[in-house]
Amino acid sequence: MSESTEITVEQMLARAYAIEREAQARYADLADQMQVHNNRELAELFGRLAEIEGKHAAKIKQRAAGAELPYISPLAYRWPGTEAPENVDISVAHYLMTPHHALKMALKGEERAVAYFEDLTEIAADNDAKALAEEFVEEEREHVKLVKAWLDKYPEPEAGWDEDHDPPAIQE
Amino acid sequence: MSPASTKETSERQSIALAINGSGGAGAITAGGMLLKAAARAGFYGLFTRSVGPQIRGGEAAAILRLATVPVDAAADRCDLQIAIDWMNADRFAGELNLGPDSLVVADSNADEAPQVIAASGARIVALPIAALAKAIKGGRPNMVALGIAAAAIGLPREALDAEIETTLADKGTGAITASKEALAAGIDAASEIEFTANLAPTAPAAEARWIISGNEAAGLGAIRGGVRFVAAYPITPATEILEWMAPALVKAGGSLVQAEDELASINMIIGASYGGVPALTATSGPGLALMLESLGLAVASEVPVVVVDVMRGGPSTGIPTKSEQSDLNMALHGCHGDAPHIVVAPTSVADCLFTTQWAVHLAEAMQAPAIVLSDQFLGQAKAVIDRPADLAFIANRKVEAAPAVGYRRYALTADGVSPMTVPGTAGGQYTADGLEHNPRGTPSTAASDHSSQLDKRSDKLTGFDYGQHWADVEGAGPLAVITWGSSTGPAREAIGMAREDGLAVKLIALRLLAPSRPEDFAAALEGVERMLVVEQTHSGQFLRHLRAEYGLPRDAAHLCRPGPLNFRAQEILSAIRELQ
Amino acid sequence: MTMDAIPVSEALTSRDYKSDIKPVWCPGCGDYSVLGSITTALAELQLQPENVAVVSGIGCSSRIPAYANCYGFHGVHGRSLALGTGLKVARPDLTVLVASGDGDGFSIGGNHFLHACRRNIDLTYIVMDNRVYGMTKGQPSPTTEPDWAESALAPGGTGLRPFHPLVIALASGASFVARAFSGDLLGTAALIAEAIRHEGFSFVEILSPCVTFRPDEREWRNQVHPASVEPTDDPARAVRRIMTDDGFNTGVLFSGERSAYSAATPDGPPVDAGYFDGDFEV
Repeated sequence: MSESTEITVEQMLARAYAIEREAQARYADLADQMQVHNNRELAELFGRLAEIEGKHAAKIKQRAAGAELPYISPLAYRWPGTEAPENVDISVAHYLMTPHHALKMALKGEERAVAYFEDLTEIAADNDAKALAEEFVEEEREHVKLVKAWLDKYPEPEAGWDEDHDPPAIQE
Repeated sequence: MSPASTKETSERQSIALAINGSGGAGAITAGGMLLKAAARAGFYGLFTRSVGPQIRGGEAAAILRLATVPVDAAADRCDLQIAIDWMNADRFAGELNLGPDSLVVADSNADEAPQVIAASGARIVALPIAALAKAIKGGRPNMVALGIAAAAIGLPREALDAEIETTLADKGTGAITASKEALAAGIDAASEIEFTANLAPTAPAAEARWIISGNEAAGLGAIRGGVRFVAAYPITPATEILEWMAPALVKAGGSLVQAEDELASINMIIGASYGGVPALTATSGPGLALMLESLGLAVASEVPVVVVDVMRGGPSTGIPTKSEQSDLNMALHGCHGDAPHIVVAPTSVADCLFTTQWAVHLAEAMQAPAIVLSDQFLGQAKAVIDRPADLAFIANRKVEAAPAVGYRRYALTADGVSPMTVPGTAGGQYTADGLEHNPRGTPSTAASDHSSQLDKRSDKLTGFDYGQHWADVEGAGPLAVITWGSSTGPAREAIGMAREDGLAVKLIALRLLAPSRPEDFAAALEGVERMLVVEQTHSGQFLRHLRAEYGLPRDAAHLCRPGPLNFRAQEILSAIRELQ
Repeated sequence: MTMDAIPVSEALTSRDYKSDIKPVWCPGCGDYSVLGSITTALAELQLQPENVAVVSGIGCSSRIPAYANCYGFHGVHGRSLALGTGLKVARPDLTVLVASGDGDGFSIGGNHFLHACRRNIDLTYIVMDNRVYGMTKGQPSPTTEPDWAESALAPGGTGLRPFHPLVIALASGASFVARAFSGDLLGTAALIAEAIRHEGFSFVEILSPCVTFRPDEREWRNQVHPASVEPTDDPARAVRRIMTDDGFNTGVLFSGERSAYSAATPDGPPVDAGYFDGDFEV
């Protein structure tokens, strides 16, 4: 855990908001990638995920109304991993990927978010902050359940799902 | 001051002379001082140099024409050659072109004159040049030679003394005194020789004249035009442009970067220009060849740049120290794809200033690259010229200072020029690209985008109003000489001589080589029945260009010769006479 | 600048540095992460997008300028450093990032690389090294392993020793040299931010896997590790370390003090063109 200072309610809200916004942006980027590569099913799926994250972000923004959230620069968040915890790993995308793969990525993201907020409960600055962190833990656990259920609809595809009989095309 | 001789001396409008010597004899320095002294005395002149391949100690010849009217061409004949020594001097024979009326003054202790000199029929007299110099403490043979030259052409001693004081100011009074004494010794020794020609006297100029080389003039033209960034790689014979511009640019608030090669040079100036700063590079044929790919980038991304090509003998390494006009094909057609751009060429040393300044203005106005085809003859010759006029041609780029939302860098406009945002302008961000693009600048392979952007890049050049500067059209008559670049000087002189013979000949010297001007050209040719195309190439590049762009009649005559020797008026006059 | 002083509503986020053009890179390409790292670094520094220019050559990584909301130039193959140098010298007020790949930067662009390091112009050079020519369908690049045999142009592998860009950069005088891995988005962003802050030529080599032609590079995520020692300011030590490391050390490997290139300035206000008449008057 890279956090060492005690996290206040405002800082908690700022981080939670950033997590959802980052995740939203990440899913939106993946939706674009899929759209450009003509994988319509995944473009829609990632689009939906982006929408959902956007709703989460909006909820947190509402909750934060009135509070003065601190500016935290991107590197100052000191996320535990290589980026914000709910961001799915962009390097495992594939232009032929299936919903199973996407939702597996999403599930991992939500699980990381659970772990992150669990860690935040330990360094909350006061009881309010701790309670807030615990709320976020619960919410993320809910998300994990939802994604699991969604994932269950898509069993792992057979081998050969990434076979493309066309050769790569030169561009420049 | 006239020579102490009883023979009749004719007064001439122009005299051609040369001083040659080797191994540090200082012939070039003497030649430069002679030009300056003559200029002070009110004469015009042209000073070129010819050297061997050695970097130091080689044979060298200072070649001058001094006249009462501006000079833009090599002389038909050398009237006077002063040979400090004869080491490897046959090298200069072709360039000097001595004849039976020429006089050669050679050092008494030198070897026999080379066979080719003797065979020219010139009168050869001996003077103890080296001995006279040795007799003076610190005296040098080139100052003796200078004295002989001055006496021969009737240049006042005062003008030379003044020049010695100026040129040797930082070498100390000892050097100045020694040089003046050596000069005097040369003048006195010359009194024993019969000279048949003197320069007609002239009054000192009413308005200050300038002494400038074509390369310096190009540099000055660039700065006057607004250039404030140069990146370049040294190459003969363009390096002097960079040498003059480097400190000048800094004084003017700009900068010069010596690049690692020409590939870097052209890209650096594209980068600087993209940043909003008018930019230029100077090179010669081999360097321009390297730059062609990126010139295409400037065309495609619509970034203005100016490339001065001081042409030299080609192909490949060719003859780096001599002139030729054989980069025309490359300048016009060297880019891959359809890549219209501007090509201009100065017609004289003085015109290097105007044409380069104009090129900056054109490039900036049309957001396109402009190639300036100068050449070694113009670039390295020093000329005495009238003070150049101050011109209004400066960089005036269409800049979008307040871009609206949805700004499109390559929008299709009526004149084909779309306002450009400059980095630092909020809301104007775009990515310039060599890839074909749509009006916004996003890469596109669509047929409609390609054809409309190609039209844009072409129409903006052909639709521009170049005014009367596209060519120098002089005179009228049923005969015409069509030429360009440094061939213009001798052509003009030949036409003047033809007029004295009663032949009415028109001169059409193109300054704008691309885009073509069919209407202007047709108007210039009205009334012309026979024409002579003059160019310094082997393969007739200019004639082919004229035929392709303007459809010349099949009986157009062609005087076509590659370098290293420049045209002389007499050659062109003979060709004109054959037209009749 | 104090980050606390920025009102949250006005702060630029990494999204503000992305344009609306959708990248065409293969999904899974490391360059997506690099774009994220660059935009994150810019957000960290709160630079105004219009004061940043991203200049590139040709190749997959060179597509990046269009995907950023800054001024950009997508130039010709191998000349991105020259473009960037001209722009920075003429416009020292801009932040100039030069983006390239291992082919564009170390093959055709090799000469300009040496001289950019020499010149120490204050710009940041980011090379996305995937050890292959992706755009032209998978030929070996100067950094490709000698036994990589998947290219028709070099059956059995090139057998050539790979180019060592970090060492060459140091030998040529680069004053800031770092290695990064695209998979560590924030770590790479931090390196890029430090590189931009560094006054002088900063070179960041980012190992960025090519998912299409080098699927074996998926292993890189298990091989990279932070450098175990602090960056040094002794170029000889840095070179020795880099030449003996496993090639997967990430972090700032060298940071030295060398005054950045600065164009000569006039003593006094700039003169106008008429000043030079005196050079030529008789």
